[in-house]
Amino acid sequence: MSWETVVGLEVHVQLLTATKMFCACSSKFGDPPNTNVCPVCLGLPGALPVPNEQAVRLAVRAAFALGCTVHPRSIFARKNYFYPDLPKGYQISQFEEPLATGGALEFVSAERGPVTVRIKRLHLEEDAGKSFHDRVPGMTAVDFNRSGVPLIEIVSEPDLRSPAEARAYLTTLKQILKYVEVSDCNMEEGSLRVDANLSIRPVGSSELRTRTEVKNMNSFSGVERALTAERERQIAATERGEEVVQTTMLFDAASGEVRPMRSKEEAQDYRYFPEPDLPPLVLTEKWLAAERAALPELPAAKRERLVKQYALPPADSAVLSASRGLADYYERVVKAGVAPKDAANWVMNDLLALSPDGETLAPAPERLVEVIGLVSGGKVSRQTAKRILGEMVSAPKDAALAVAERLGLLQVSDTGAIEGWVRETLAAHPAEVARYKAGESKLMGFLVGQAMKRSQGKADPKAVGAALAAALAR
Amino acid sequence: MTDFVRAAREAAQRIAACEEKGTHAFLAWSEAALVEQAERLAKADATGPLAGEAVAVKDVIAESVFPTTCGSKILEGWRSPFEATVVRRLREAGAMVAGKANCDEFAMGSSTEWSAYGPSRNPVDPTRVPGGSSGGSAAAVAAGAVTMALGSETGGSVRQPAAFCGIVGIKPTYGRVSRYGLVAFGSSLDQIGTFGKDVVSAARLLGVISGRDDRDATSLDRIPLGEPGPAPASLKGTVIGVPREYFPEGLHAGIKAASDRALARLRDLGAEVRDVSLPHTKYAVPTYYIVAPAEASSNLARYDGVRYGPRADGGLTDVRAVYRATRGHGFGPEVRRRILLGTYVLSAGYYDAYYRKAQRVREAIRADFARVFAQGVHALFTPTTPTPAFKFGENTADPLAMYLSDVYVCTANLAWVPALSLPIGRDQGLPIGGQLIGAMEGEATIIRIAQALERAVNATAEVR
Amino acid sequence: MSVSRRDIEKIAALAELGVDDASAAELEKQLTRILDYVAQLSEVTDDATSAVDERAARLRRDVVDPDSLSRTPKEIAPAFTDGLFTVPRLGELDRGEDAP
Repeated sequence: MSWETVVGLEVHVQLLTATKMFCACSSKFGDPPNTNVCPVCLGLPGALPVPNEQAVRLAVRAAFALGCTVHPRSIFARKNYFYPDLPKGYQISQFEEPLATGGALEFVSAERGPVTVRIKRLHLEEDAGKSFHDRVPGMTAVDFNRSGVPLIEIVSEPDLRSPAEARAYLTTLKQILKYVEVSDCNMEEGSLRVDANLSIRPVGSSELRTRTEVKNMNSFSGVERALTAERERQIAATERGEEVVQTTMLFDAASGEVRPMRSKEEAQDYRYFPEPDLPPLVLTEKWLAAERAALPELPAAKRERLVKQYALPPADSAVLSASRGLADYYERVVKAGVAPKDAANWVMNDLLALSPDGETLAPAPERLVEVIGLVSGGKVSRQTAKRILGEMVSAPKDAALAVAERLGLLQVSDTGAIEGWVRETLAAHPAEVARYKAGESKLMGFLVGQAMKRSQGKADPKAVGAALAAALAR
Repeated sequence: MTDFVRAAREAAQRIAACEEKGTHAFLAWSEAALVEQAERLAKADATGPLAGEAVAVKDVIAESVFPTTCGSKILEGWRSPFEATVVRRLREAGAMVAGKANCDEFAMGSSTEWSAYGPSRNPVDPTRVPGGSSGGSAAAVAAGAVTMALGSETGGSVRQPAAFCGIVGIKPTYGRVSRYGLVAFGSSLDQIGTFGKDVVSAARLLGVISGRDDRDATSLDRIPLGEPGPAPASLKGTVIGVPREYFPEGLHAGIKAASDRALARLRDLGAEVRDVSLPHTKYAVPTYYIVAPAEASSNLARYDGVRYGPRADGGLTDVRAVYRATRGHGFGPEVRRRILLGTYVLSAGYYDAYYRKAQRVREAIRADFARVFAQGVHALFTPTTPTPAFKFGENTADPLAMYLSDVYVCTANLAWVPALSLPIGRDQGLPIGGQLIGAMEGEATIIRIAQALERAVNATAEVR
Repeated sequence: MSVSRRDIEKIAALAELGVDDASAAELEKQLTRILDYVAQLSEVTDDATSAVDERAARLRRDVVDPDSLSRTPKEIAPAFTDGLFTVPRLGELDRGEDAP
């Protein structure tokens, strides 16, 4: 029996605001516990929520970037349940009338080629506090700094067909959301969290069978591993003749396995109803149009444009458009007069080598352009350029020429000096000279190398080669 | 220059006298606290429209000097680390908090018999309830301990006790007064209201505490109401609507007599009295008893013993056991009843038939009022309650009987319109209240009419 | 609408409200009576098909300015260790949401 995997993802993303969703506490990550709290995010008796304008703006931006329809009027709703880190005993979210619906995310699946995943909805909600179950023996310990941080929840249709596709979806989603500066999307820090729904069905079938929910994944690779494990579990169970039961499965990164949460007697009933403390969220057409217009060029469009505008191969364009910062960097180098293909090579090889995270891009584009100029002008060799660039990361204001000088890397193009080294080399290797003149032209490489050694690598190899050739021709 | 400390000591004497009689209007008060507040005000050379006033504050309103228990064991000893906006405004106006007034637990009730700390007594007849849930605030004013007090309304909890105690009570338009710091019961209904020994006192207090608050997203974008105007000498040109649904066959004879007399006075003052209809009135109580408990069941979920308040511990090793014990023991029977009722009407399978339906009927009730006011009526006149104050224990056995006593008052909460009760006479010594209901944001109109009526009517005269 | 013992147990669990046997019996009767009473709303046929709330939420500027607490979390908490609020550990991570 051939099985098809059906996966849908619910992604929670923390928004890059200064304050929380419903109160003016700082939403900064990493502060000492329970120091960014107030009556509202602690759920004290008498406190009331007031929505954060910037959170709304970022949510709308994300919705537009994902091709969603943003609804001018949406309603906040209470999702009621009990948990120690949920201070009010309910979460303010959106239910029947969410902020946005009907978007799409495109990526290239290794198995199927270009794929479009439909996005069912995107809505605003608040985060809960953070619970620690093993910090204090026998107790659950809670930090409410995170309580109230703004989130958007992005729900996909079950359009993914493999664990690898789930991972590709997440990578693409992260890139888009970072492009529009809505979130850091950092799973390790908790600013992006994923719940997955997985079911299987016979290949060729279009039915949707019972699905399980998979949680507790801490990285994109973890998502792929978890879904692989869960798919295998479901296939094995089904082939044994067992029913797949609707449960929640928790991923254990250490073992790579998924295990069921102890099943509850009753399914949760969240008793959603419209939040009476908040009037409807109303966005004017003018405001929405302005936000839509202010969207930066998105990754897919940028990839295509770089290919067209600079005649780059798609693979190079993909690398250069990984982040907006990198793409902007590249284009500044080209605008400064460097040929697009050369610029691409320099940026992809030399610059990215200095930037392991692909985010902090140093030195500045102008500095790189200077180094490129030194190389093409024969002032430094291609190999030493890397050293010069590396040095410039810590001395960002120094011009390339000054740095090269300081490091003693300036090539010598002085004809006198070069002629001198050429003479010495020819004098030192009469046998090779004779063999070269007899027809072994590949000995030129050896002779150039010897001349370079005499110059301690400082000579311009092109000039050395030319001088040697001239001397040998005489 | 106000002599704050003297005002404080005099207030303390009046409160002591009230409490010594067994009124139990207050859950917390002290002369020392009054004097301390007075000294602070004196040092700051405080001025303001309420300079030197001692105002009783219902115990569901967060305030920093005394505990805020909401009349419940689950918040026993809870000292709020922040103050309600209305309390801040009181202080800015130069007033002192006289003490925290008793109330039905979490404002759920119509008699204060559901207070976990014992009921308050009606100063006019101590064998009878003062009404509720803001019974303590009403009793404090009626007993002369204070001239003004803050209460809260979800389904009539200011107007009904005002009527039972023979004083004035005002419920503003929903959103007129900030709810920041008001412990939530039914969020789409709750409003802080004011009590006064007369219309002008209640209106002045409302004038000070009202106005936009950026901490309450449901507060209206309006400046405070400010001082009330002078009482009008005539009501010529004013149209008073009398909704027939509020005057059924079999209405209590004393209530009817008092209302008839008040209407006669209104006519004498030159008002035109017109017969009107609010056809969905009979659905108000059932609508209210779906919407309010539903919202309450959610608003009271935060009382779980995790972050504040007493926690049932006793060797419990699982947090859910802590929830159930804390809440099971901390909440009284009426609150538990309403939480269960509210949870039920929101639960899967029942939401559409109950909660969603109730919100739609609510719109119909609102539309009834809007229609009448659009036809040139300035205010409606009705009885405030179907009976005068009842005796202790009369309605506690049957919750439904207690709920039905809210029939004339809960409509204004559902429709968000302002309403006021003022004393219009007595029946066998028991106070009777007359209610004025205004259009949305029509506080000034009903206050003006009330001022005129107050002068024209003998509030303590027998009506039969 | 008759409320059964099972119903009471279910909603008490949803509301995390401990209800003992004696109260449960009483509650069955009272809630049935109340629900029967409020069910008369089904008679209403001329209610609005959709109640439209005309208000629009006022939004807050994204500037750090929290309402201060006159007492710290440590001072208000029933139990507090190492900067964290503590409760007896959950028997199982059965939150309806993501666990960590």
